[in-house]
Amino acid sequence: MSTVKMSKMDWEIYEQIKDYAFRLARRKYITAHGGNISVRSGNTMWITRHAASLESLCPEDIIKVRVDKPIGHDLVASTETPVHRAVYQKTGNLCIMHAHPPYTVALSFFIDKLVPLDSEGYHVLKEVPIVEGSPGSPELAEAVADALSKHWAVIVRGHGVFAASKFIDHTYQLLCMVEHSAEIYYLTEILKSIGKLSFIKPKAF
Amino acid sequence: MGKTLWIDLSKQKVEVRELEKSFAVKFLGGSGFGIKWLYDLLPRGTDPFSPQNPLIFAAGPLNGTRVYGAARHSVISKSPLTGTVFDATSGGFFGVFMKKAGFDAIVISGKAEKPIYLTIFDGKVEFKDARELWGFTTKETIREIRKREGARVFVSAIGPAGEHLVLLASIMNDEAHTAGRGGLGAVMGSKKLKAIAVTGSQPIEEAKPEVLDELLEIMKVRITWNPLLGNALREIGTAALFNVINEWNLLPTKNFQFNSFEKAEAISGDTLREKILIRRAGCYNCPIACKRITKTKRMQGDGPEYENLVNLGSMLLIGNIEDIAELNYLCNELGIDTISTGGTLACALELSERGLLPVKIHWGDAETLKKLVVDMAYRRGVGDLLAEGSKRMAERCGAPEVSMNVKGLEVPAYDPRNAFGMALTYGTSYRGACHLRSWAIAFEVIGVPNLVNRYSIFDKPALIKYTQDLTMIYDSIVMCQHFAVEFSEEPLSKMLSAVIGFEYSKEELLKTGERIWNLARLFNLREGFTKKDDMLPERLLKPTPQAPGKEVPYEELLNAYYEVRGWDAGGRPLPETLERLDLVDEARGVAP
Repeated sequence: MSTVKMSKMDWEIYEQIKDYAFRLARRKYITAHGGNISVRSGNTMWITRHAASLESLCPEDIIKVRVDKPIGHDLVASTETPVHRAVYQKTGNLCIMHAHPPYTVALSFFIDKLVPLDSEGYHVLKEVPIVEGSPGSPELAEAVADALSKHWAVIVRGHGVFAASKFIDHTYQLLCMVEHSAEIYYLTEILKSIGKLSFIKPKAF
Repeated sequence: MGKTLWIDLSKQKVEVRELEKSFAVKFLGGSGFGIKWLYDLLPRGTDPFSPQNPLIFAAGPLNGTRVYGAARHSVISKSPLTGTVFDATSGGFFGVFMKKAGFDAIVISGKAEKPIYLTIFDGKVEFKDARELWGFTTKETIREIRKREGARVFVSAIGPAGEHLVLLASIMNDEAHTAGRGGLGAVMGSKKLKAIAVTGSQPIEEAKPEVLDELLEIMKVRITWNPLLGNALREIGTAALFNVINEWNLLPTKNFQFNSFEKAEAISGDTLREKILIRRAGCYNCPIACKRITKTKRMQGDGPEYENLVNLGSMLLIGNIEDIAELNYLCNELGIDTISTGGTLACALELSERGLLPVKIHWGDAETLKKLVVDMAYRRGVGDLLAEGSKRMAERCGAPEVSMNVKGLEVPAYDPRNAFGMALTYGTSYRGACHLRSWAIAFEVIGVPNLVNRYSIFDKPALIKYTQDLTMIYDSIVMCQHFAVEFSEEPLSKMLSAVIGFEYSKEELLKTGERIWNLARLFNLREGFTKKDDMLPERLLKPTPQAPGKEVPYEELLNAYYEVRGWDAGGRPLPETLERLDLVDEARGVAP
């Protein structure tokens, strides 16, 4: 957005997105220019710019586009804008985060859905489906929107995670939870494969 | 190897020549062929309207194959507007069907005694009487020729502007596509050549189709994930740029006196879609289809594109989308370049405001400006003065500083005060101020393939040189430059190798682009152009309260660019550069 024309709401959204983008970067959930975040209000969504570095966003890196259809500003918006748009059109979510957390991406090559073993993930996420599709494609947009109409998060095989909710902080929490569950899953499988320990399923969380 | 067709209009003689492999490898096709032939054929100082000045239509090695976006052709000649070497590329179907007719290129010299048009169908060439077509608009000409020759012929034609030797005259093909800039339509008019119709059924070979299959699968995916190719161009067209460019103070307004427009929303790409869009359209084998067919209450046609919205809109303070569309249709039908027409009208408006033009015209008065465009095309009244382009007009009116041009070519639709790469792009383009010789907006604004600081200077000389060399590859193979935002020399070299059947490395390809760029530079040096011709109008370098931005350190950028290019301080290629690019023989005709 042009700083000259930014409203109070625009500034607030910029500050929020910048804060959470930095947190994702600090956790190494995104590569140099990967990942994207959007928030929605009415028919407007604010989304990170294509090729912006989430580690150090500036006001020009937040692009205002419409929810109902593409507009000219889509030109500079994230490649995944069609995916975010499809999710907003199909669900009541107001915030979407997309990142490439390493345990989740690695695990996605071996499983068809992530069923968390850890208590938090088990209770909150229950199950995270895995879908496929090229970044920004209509096929991926439909698959992610479908999944997020039934789940808090979805994994795109070999690519990353989309998480969505009504609150930006909750969305961040969900995305982190997916990666945490993936890490626990991975470590558990490693321990199992060593064969010296036996797996004990909790009686109750 | 393919064939080329050499036509002498004076003698009505035709010669077919075989392309030599060594020549094709060294210059690729399209603009590369044309610039080389023009360099070899045209003595220094030749009048662009001389029968000796060849008009060249050239396709490239990828045209007509399954490679997406490979549907363009290049038209090359010495420009009557700029006096430089000039290549203008056009999309559509003409280039592909010229190849299917059996020819990679058509080189036309001489001058017909009376108006004619050419038909080139499956290797057979005929000279046809065009006296009845003389005076027709481009649309009327194309329709009439299709009526006579069949609906499946593809036609490049000039309109009244080309016939009247208007220095801004364009060549239209198939009603919606144009080789627009530099007045090449006037060169065609000077030869009394109204049109060329082509068609054919010659097969276009792909040496390794199975390799190409795999590369095209990857190409499809990469098109999808690029925000320009996969989303904006498809959904909105080039006009998608409009609002972003306006918000970031890059939008030329009122002859570059401002760089944002208060009525921008009313003439944006989004408004175009809401109010006048009928349907999308595209070139041969294009999955994007960025063109827009539109309709106003009175007229119907192609566009406006982003450049038209600016040059026929904000530059003239016209804030009505229908008026801009109609100005654009008029330009296309009369066969006159929309960018230079807009720039010339804006210059005329400022001259009029200062009391320096023989007539009084007013900013935003669309109806008067429409009439003026018609007068330009027919060289009537003050239109005759405008038909010379903004540089000559402003000089004759005693205020050369009012013309926003480089080398006589009107500046396109990005204010360089807020995108320093564009300053260098405009100044160093061999054909004059042109956005299509290194579209820095891709990396300075859109972030494809990567984002760079709009105001940085350390990286721009090398980036602009690289983009120019890449552009020469695109215009020589001949492929749509939109794809350059995603496909660099590496995928291009793989696709080219799969089509021609032997290895053409990415390094060699980039060197070929550089060779062609340097040859164009040599042409201009031979014609007497110097470093001063690479300078920008003062207005484009200094911000004002109405046109905020940063002062462009242009001299520093230009000097660094010359060094990166391997040129001396005067912008002449150094001996080692010429040797590396195998241009030593060509450079012999250029004074040191």
